[in-house]
Formats: sequence, C-alpha cells, structure tokens
Amino acid sequence: MLQVSVYRYNPETDKKPYMQDFEIDTKGKDIMVLDVLHLIKEKDNGMSYRRSCREGVCGSDGLNMNGKNGLACITPVSDVVKNNKLIIRPLPGLPVIRDLVVDMSLFYKQYERIKPFLINDTPEPAIERLQTPEDREKLDGLYECILCACCSTACPSFWWNPDKFVGPSGLLQAYRFLIDSRDTATKERLAELDDPFSVFRCHGIMNCVAVCPKGLNPTRAIGNIRGMLLNNAT
Amino acid sequence: MKSNRPVNLDLSTIKFPLSALASITHRISGVILFVGLIFMFWAFDVSLSSPAGFDSVKTTLQDNFLAKFVLWGMLTALGYHCLAGVKHIIMDFDIGVNLENGHTMSQVVFILAAVLAVLAGVWVW
Repeated sequence: MLQVSVYRYNPETDKKPYMQDFEIDTKGKDIMVLDVLHLIKEKDNGMSYRRSCREGVCGSDGLNMNGKNGLACITPVSDVVKNNKLIIRPLPGLPVIRDLVVDMSLFYKQYERIKPFLINDTPEPAIERLQTPEDREKLDGLYECILCACCSTACPSFWWNPDKFVGPSGLLQAYRFLIDSRDTATKERLAELDDPFSVFRCHGIMNCVAVCPKGLNPTRAIGNIRGMLLNNAT
Repeated sequence: MKSNRPVNLDLSTIKFPLSALASITHRISGVILFVGLIFMFWAFDVSLSSPAGFDSVKTTLQDNFLAKFVLWGMLTALGYHCLAGVKHIIMDFDIGVNLENGHTMSQVVFILAAVLAVLAGVWVW
C-alpha cells in the first residue's frame, strides 16, 4: 500500500488547506502519479485536479510531487517516491482555487505580455514566409514548451514578483520570437523587456531547468535575451 | 470571485537543486559582508585614530576569540561571495548553462569556498 498525502482545500467548507492521507493499492505496478490521483478520486469523488491528455502533451496536470514540480501523467511513482510516501501539493506560489487546482491568471498574463505571436510588417508573400533550415533550427528547445507552469512556479523570483518578473516560461517564449528570422519586431520586443524586473530578476539558480518536463532550458534562453539587450544598448 | 485564496508556498516542502542552494548562500554571504563591514570599518577607524587605538585593535584581534571568529566569518563569506560571483560571470558568457554543469560548478564553488575557509582559519588563528 502506497502512503499518499494530498493537499486539500474546499473554499466552501474549509477555512484553511490541510493534508489528507490515503492508502492506495498500486497492485505492485509502477503507475503514474496521475493514476494515483484517479484511485484517490474513486475513494473521494470531491478530489479536484486538472488533467486532459494524460500523456504529457497538454500540460494540465502540473503538480508538486514530493517537493518537485512535474506533470503527474508522465511521472512514474518510482521516480519521486522515497520510503513508500508520496506527497502531492499544488504548484507553489499561485492561488489555490480548490485542492490541486490553481489560478494561473498571473502566469498567463506574463505570457500575454511577451506577445507570443509572429510580428512581421513586410508585405505578405503569396504562399508562406520561408525560413532556412539553419534559422528553423534556432527554434529547437524553445517551441516545445507546453505552458504547464512547472518552471515558473518553481522559481523564487516569480514567487516574489509574479506581476513584474516575466518568469522562465514567458522568457523562453519571448526568446523563441526574438530569435525567429520571420519576426521583424525584435527591437520593440527588447524594449518591452528592458527594465530591472522583467528579465534581470533571474539569478540563474536553474530551478526551472531542474523541473521542466520537456527538458528545456529557460536559464539559457534568459542569458541569451540579456546578451541581446546588451548588444541593443550599445 | 474569492480573493483570499490560500497559496501553497511552504518552502520546507519544496526541493531545491544544488544550484539554488548556491544562489541563496551567495545572497546570505552578501548580507553577512554588508553587516560585518560595519564592525570592520569601526575597527579600522579605531586603529587609525591613535597609536593606542591601533594597539587595542591589534591585541583584540590577537587574543579575543569572538573578534577572531568575526574576522574568520567575514573572510569565509568574502571567499564564497567572490567564487559565486565568478560562477555568475562564467554563466554570463553562456558557458555551462545547463543542469549538469550548473550542478558541477556549484559543487566546485562550495568545495573551493570550504578550502578558503580553512585557509582563512589557519591565517586568523
């Protein structure tokens, strides 16, 4: 029997969140943490969490499992469990709506701020805007982000300044458009980020890199944005 | 909409990688240096005020355990702070900005800082 401790909070009945313990029979199999949540839901159908694709593509079930953020659907119990104990908490730093469901408004606001779409003021070509294979390659390691918020909610700079610091996820996306050869708004994008908070609150502690379920490297992207800001200023 | 929603942010429940611990230690060593410099400047001022003042600072640093400990603490914090700063400069040159190297560089910083702390201890005592 796996000992599971889950963060519970029902705004209608609870004044404060609490941890609830469950004993879950995994039938000797190494199941995913999301499967454990399903088994808990069978015991208590009030248990709330987000999930959709259950295969690490949609990014709905970002959670804190035994202290580390990740996607519950692609995290095997054996990856996080020590001494038969699994502790499941919501993503840190964001307001909890109910149980493991957090309010991601601040996270999305920062994403919106970096204008996550191509801006190109040159006349539209007849078919499509072409890109060389070399230029396309620059987007690798950036476009794969699924906005699960595991990185930004693992980042102390984002915890303390979620309204001013764009956060690792937003900055990874900012760099994805800064480096895109088809985007012509590089200068305007950099100007938007050129202040003490948006980019420079990052202190390179790499919590984001440590938790990213897609193996991406926001710290490196942030360093590259800093380099662009520096070159732009001279 | 409920505005007084709870936030899950109990730091004791969250796991931090070594690179994060290196960063918070950098911040702590900076605070120690900032506060400690008040005593250092004060001692410096006393030592420059008169020959008697110079002698009193000198004997205190030679005999008083607490004074020696503060001096050692300052040197240790300074050593760590400089090494962690160099790590930042290396990362700013886009060298080793990935999880493995971040871990290794943090380890190197901690080990070198420990060596400097021992050397500082030998020098002070």
